[in-house]
Amino acid sequence: MIEKRLLEEVLGIAVSTGADFAEVYSEQTRNGSIRHLNGKIEAIGDNMVCGVGIRAFVGTKTVYASTSDVTREGLIKCAKSVAAAVGEGFNVQSIRLTERIFPNVHPVKIVPSGADMGYKCDLLKAACSAAREYDERVVQAAGNLITVDHSILIANTEGLLTTDRHIRSRMAVQVTAADGGEMQSGVCSPGRGMGLETFELFDPKDIGITAAKQALTNLTASYCPAGKMTVAIENGFGGVIFHEACGHSLEATSVGTGTSQMCGKLGQQVASTKVTAIDDGTIPGAWGSVNIDDEGNETRRNVLIENGILKSYMVDRLGSRRMGLPMTGNSRRQDYTFEPTSRMTNTFIANGEDKNEDIIASIEYGLYAKSMGGGSVNPLTGAFNFAVSEGYIVRNGKICEAVRGASLIGTGAEILMNIDMVGQNLATGQGMCGSSSGSVPTDVGQPLIRVSEITVGGKE
Amino acid sequence: MFDRLKNAIARRAAELGVTEYEIYYSSNSSSAAETLGHEISSLTSSTSGGICFRCAVDGKMGYASTQLMDEAEMAELVDRALENGRYTEKEDTVGIFPGAEKYGKTNAPEYVPLTAEDIRRAALELQEANYAVSDKVREGTQSQVETTETVVRIVNSHGLDLSNKVGLNVAVSVAVVEDKGESQDDYTFCEYGKKSAREMAEEAVNSALEKIGATVPPTGKYNIVFDAKQMRTMLSVFADAFSAKTAQAGMSRLAGKEGEKIASDIINITDDPMREGFSIQTYFDAEGVPAYKKDVVKNGVLMTLLHNRETAAVAGCETTGNASKAGYSAPIGVSTYAFCIEAGENTKDELMALAGDGIYITEVKGLHAGANSVTGDFSIESAGFMIEEGKKTYPIKSFTVAGNFFDMLRDVSALSNEVDVGFSGYGAPDLLVRDMSVAGK
Repeated sequence: MIEKRLLEEVLGIAVSTGADFAEVYSEQTRNGSIRHLNGKIEAIGDNMVCGVGIRAFVGTKTVYASTSDVTREGLIKCAKSVAAAVGEGFNVQSIRLTERIFPNVHPVKIVPSGADMGYKCDLLKAACSAAREYDERVVQAAGNLITVDHSILIANTEGLLTTDRHIRSRMAVQVTAADGGEMQSGVCSPGRGMGLETFELFDPKDIGITAAKQALTNLTASYCPAGKMTVAIENGFGGVIFHEACGHSLEATSVGTGTSQMCGKLGQQVASTKVTAIDDGTIPGAWGSVNIDDEGNETRRNVLIENGILKSYMVDRLGSRRMGLPMTGNSRRQDYTFEPTSRMTNTFIANGEDKNEDIIASIEYGLYAKSMGGGSVNPLTGAFNFAVSEGYIVRNGKICEAVRGASLIGTGAEILMNIDMVGQNLATGQGMCGSSSGSVPTDVGQPLIRVSEITVGGKE
Repeated sequence: MFDRLKNAIARRAAELGVTEYEIYYSSNSSSAAETLGHEISSLTSSTSGGICFRCAVDGKMGYASTQLMDEAEMAELVDRALENGRYTEKEDTVGIFPGAEKYGKTNAPEYVPLTAEDIRRAALELQEANYAVSDKVREGTQSQVETTETVVRIVNSHGLDLSNKVGLNVAVSVAVVEDKGESQDDYTFCEYGKKSAREMAEEAVNSALEKIGATVPPTGKYNIVFDAKQMRTMLSVFADAFSAKTAQAGMSRLAGKEGEKIASDIINITDDPMREGFSIQTYFDAEGVPAYKKDVVKNGVLMTLLHNRETAAVAGCETTGNASKAGYSAPIGVSTYAFCIEAGENTKDELMALAGDGIYITEVKGLHAGANSVTGDFSIESAGFMIEEGKKTYPIKSFTVAGNFFDMLRDVSALSNEVDVGFSGYGAPDLLVRDMSVAGK
């Protein structure tokens, strides 16, 4: 890691031409990946990501420069380029940093980067073998074991100097099943902000079998009908509905620039009274958790919506300046090449009071979305979409035949008001969320919910 | 610097008896200016580089990568690649490419990097052009101009030493408009200088304004005209089906279909690393094999899948020079260059006329989730315009169009006579397909 005196010098240069704040973000990340295909370990890769990003503010204007040259010369050059972009003159400031150590609330039992490679390969092989052996129609089980060991240092002209180390592990198995000319796929990809003990929580065999079952279900499913329907969305990754329909619209990235449908709505009813939604970066070992955000603020539990009333946005430093609201510990970035911005961590709809069986029983005709794929949103209009990766028709309160190829679309404002039942089996699912500061790990989550009416895109 | 690192690697490789290896180096530098309101809101610049070392170990291939450019790390890189190779189970049958006698020549338009001052000025000019188009342009409108340069170099133990530089100046404009109490946005994205600031602004602002007052179409079957930009986005999702690697893994519906009819007679698909006018060109692939133009689909017949040396060895054919890396640290895979559905014979207006009554799709969203490249199935959020009596009419939104990409290739009725190639390397004309499922109100 970079010496304190060099950091002080670099920050002094960055604010030498009129910036009112500067920050250094340094990163060293060991990414490990193991890929399994055709019944064999196909490739093993490991990559050391290493670099520094320097950012300066003049009010709400920012200058950001990043480099993978972490030598003294590289850092000084980078800081000078920031100063030159900010303004003219050269009045180096004296900066004094005081180190701060935040508590680590995400202990790790088995650090992946140092663990035995044979053991890691065996974990992945167990998942893929279980999928292949599950049914003879399984023609391929492609698996990836991804591990990340991410060390960061943050220093800024307010005197903060801090470091953090964040470890995460994820396994993804994609199964292809074929029968005659028909071919379908299924995916299971759990992960945690933990070491390899993640796979004590998730038995690799279960990961493979879950993906296989989904592919086989889709193989015998017919195309989903199209039109407006009542839909029950299952827990776990089903929470992507809130992530897309509302979460992105609550990020300062869009609210602070006036491009969110949620602008100016604090204290107003934006969702049905059944909806309480939370973003919580502090959950120990969760996929989207971190001790500190990428600006050096402790993460926290932010109640975004309480009984339908909008309580909080997710605000980073720039957003805080633009909006005049305090920072919420949500500043994140993929790596040092990205300027950080406000992002979600672990975002979920809290448990409600409806019984899960009552939710299904209440639907005369509709769709039960058991498993969801990803989606996207335009925060300005709130128009969102997401894909159903495993779905079933509900008839007279009973879950009936499987259907495939469905997607759900709508606008945030409308869908949030249409959530009219909220169950009690809160669970989370893991995703990689893409936005202007790159791809970051986020958890989505919810219990089983009922949406009274939503457009189902299908082929029939 | 590179030579010093290369020598450190060579020394460590010699110490450990590694004789067959490759160093893949890639570096990127970029700078950009972004506006908000009438000012520059953000200036960014970045320089980064990474090295991937791969070597033959006991008949397997070992990989390791780093961005830490010092000699001690280079020695470690060799050690890590050896360790990774030892645990790899897939046999490597092709080794490191010794090199070819002849390579083609790129002919990309000349790249003159924009200076920092050029970038700021251009971004502000574009932003002001947005405001000048309409008084309905509002807060949130952003313009960005960026210059970016990427260098790839492959050096291997057979003495091969290839490098390629790609440079690009890009302008983006996102217009936010408000009219009749409704906000909408749209964007334009092009190589800087290909269109004037005014042309770009008009495109973005007018497209956003055209969306105001959009209604939801009734659920049903429609004749659909996909705008070229949307069609190329669809193609990007399903292009992986043309990879022999995907096919050999049993994950493509095109596996074993070479020589068979897979599309309508009017469909021709080419893959060209040196496509005329396209800025991102290369003359070699990620293994150092010469890259060249090929017909992938001709008059509806699948001529070839795309191969690297390994998939070609499995299939018993020649590589098509399509080895790729998804970033310097990735293992060798298969990918496309400028991969395009070639133009047909109709003008866009004729396509609308042929559709009669139908829908013109100008926006598709969420394809990463709503489209399955293995099965070809898609159900995607869309927006666009109704077509009535052969003419584009009022705006529509919040509907999905669903179908299967491979069925769609067979069912295409007509293509427009202009191909739109994006920076992503995918291109397509506008395309008419009949009787597709639409879910709306």
